[in-house]
Amino acid sequence: MFLALKELQRAKVRFGLLIAAVALLVFLILFQQSLQNGLLTSFVGAIRNQSAEVLVYRTDGRRILQGSVISPDLEAMVRSSGAAAEVARIGQGTFTVTPGEGGDGVPIETSILGYEDPGLGAPTTLVEGRLPEGPGEAVASDADAELGFGVGDTVTVLPGGLDITVVGLARDVQLNVTPTLFVTYDTYVQSVRSRNPDAGEPLPNVLALRAPPDVPADRLVDQVNGLSDELDTLTRADAADKAPGVAQVRQSFQVIFLLYGFVVPLVTGLFFLIITFQKASALTLLRAIGAPARTLLTSLLVQVVVVLGGGLLLGIGLYAALVRGRIGGIPLRFETTAVLVWTALLVAGGLLSSLFSARRVMALDPYAATTGAGVGS
Amino acid sequence: MNVNGASVPALSLQRVRKVYAMGDSEVVALDDVDLEVAPGEIVALVGPSGSGKTTLCSIAGAILSPTSGRVVVAGTDISGFNPKQLTAVRRDLVGFVFQSVNLVPFLTARENLLVVDEIGKRTGAPARARADQLLGELGLADRAKNLPAQLSGGQRQRVAIGRALMNDPKLVLFDEPTSALDSKLGMAVMELIQQEMKARGTAAIVVTHDERITRFCDRSVHMDDGRITKS
Ligand SMILES: Nc1ncnc2c1ncn2[C@@H]1O[C@H](COP(=O)(O)OP(=O)(O)O)[C@@H](O)[C@H]1O
Ligand SMILES: [Mg+2]
Repeated sequence: MFLALKELQRAKVRFGLLIAAVALLVFLILFQQSLQNGLLTSFVGAIRNQSAEVLVYRTDGRRILQGSVISPDLEAMVRSSGAAAEVARIGQGTFTVTPGEGGDGVPIETSILGYEDPGLGAPTTLVEGRLPEGPGEAVASDADAELGFGVGDTVTVLPGGLDITVVGLARDVQLNVTPTLFVTYDTYVQSVRSRNPDAGEPLPNVLALRAPPDVPADRLVDQVNGLSDELDTLTRADAADKAPGVAQVRQSFQVIFLLYGFVVPLVTGLFFLIITFQKASALTLLRAIGAPARTLLTSLLVQVVVVLGGGLLLGIGLYAALVRGRIGGIPLRFETTAVLVWTALLVAGGLLSSLFSARRVMALDPYAATTGAGVGS
Repeated sequence: MNVNGASVPALSLQRVRKVYAMGDSEVVALDDVDLEVAPGEIVALVGPSGSGKTTLCSIAGAILSPTSGRVVVAGTDISGFNPKQLTAVRRDLVGFVFQSVNLVPFLTARENLLVVDEIGKRTGAPARARADQLLGELGLADRAKNLPAQLSGGQRQRVAIGRALMNDPKLVLFDEPTSALDSKLGMAVMELIQQEMKARGTAAIVVTHDERITRFCDRSVHMDDGRITKS
């Protein structure tokens, strides 16, 4: 302790800079973790946070809600199979919508999701107001409340001019990073018709299933998939995670995280290796006057822990202070799990990387203190 | 550790041999050396460069193990000691003033003395009192808070002497303690060494090739080519 702390005290700037560097890296890692989660939520939050446990897509829709169209034959096949306790339709489309009072009045691309049964497709994360009960009502994503999608705002679907009033807000229910409105299936059908009066009854995009009481969701998925190659049935979690783009976003971030995961131990490991080399003669002297190698190793360990602990505390503090609100509409939140996992990873990595310095310390030969040139220091 | 009566020599080397392997060839640095240092005795070790003086001190100071022979420090036979036991001997029984690096650069003069206690018994207050007393005796009371880089060569050498005395050793080994000082300063440092050793009754070996230094010592031992030629 004595040696470790005295050296820290005498080399404040050097250790301070290292702690700052570690803190910055910790902050960047955690911030990007929040960004990744926020980005994925903005892409597929509407799927993740709706009430249907099992969703049936059409295979050639490639797991995109709007790209999947369930033909009457397929719908009939699913219904008549009796695999699900209940089957309901979900329709989704992207519309140009003029936002309500709160917004700037500029029309904006908006996802409208219609569900037949509140137990099979309604948002589960209501934070304000209520679910739509009648025609012309919607729950909006709370991310967009300030854009003119707040409770009480009336938005207009162009070009037909259908008015929809926001009666509730739900958290994390965006689809494809656009404002999202959850409406009853009838309102959805009206929206489609208002845009194109000649279109007949739109076909549902996916079917939402409820499993019988004693059947797990996975089994229901297998049963329905067994009905036809044209059906692509997924649990809610899979539908979100396997949506196109999600895996790619995850992969890109994973590469970044992997790099950071190496950089932090590399930086601390190299730093301690360099200072161990630099003070080799002092360490040799200490060994020569009777310091056990263990004492010098403890001193190294104390410094590593101070640097990692200081860097983590500072980095997490910075993260907690700055990870607020949204960047480009993407919600940023403090991710406790990420903090815990990264703390464990970086402490382990940092300690592991300091083994190189520990080996140097162990290899010091006290006899080297008896030779060498230059009296003094 | 043995009881150290007045009659037990501070150091006893019996037929001590040290051979360094240099690739295919061997260098005999110590060739069956016998040497005894009485308690409180100051011995000058004189000889040309390469004659084995540093090797002898390193073996007496438990830094190096002999190839063969017996090494007894203050009654403790350290000949067969393992590296861990040798570390303990260096910590508890001997003091060393090295030829080159003697101080930890990031510790003040006082801390360079206190570090001896920190790596050893950790007695705390008594060690601080001892460090302050030594610094006072060595004329460094007003330099206690200076880092080595802020001290002159002579002052650094005096801090090193204090450091070597911190663990109250039975034997102190000085390897050319004045070689980097001008002769006037060198004599002053030698005088201080003599004073400190005699005041404590601590035995010492002072390595030098300066004959003038021998007058501060009780006797001189001459070395050449790994052998003691005259004592
Ligand atoms: N580590 C070593 N490896 C090989 N030879 C060494 C080593 N250390 C010392 N020697 C040799 O041993 C001899 C005695 O060296 P040393 O004890 O340092 O002499 P002195 O201190 O009298 O100058 C010299 O010939 C020197 O070259
Ligand atoms: Mg020498």
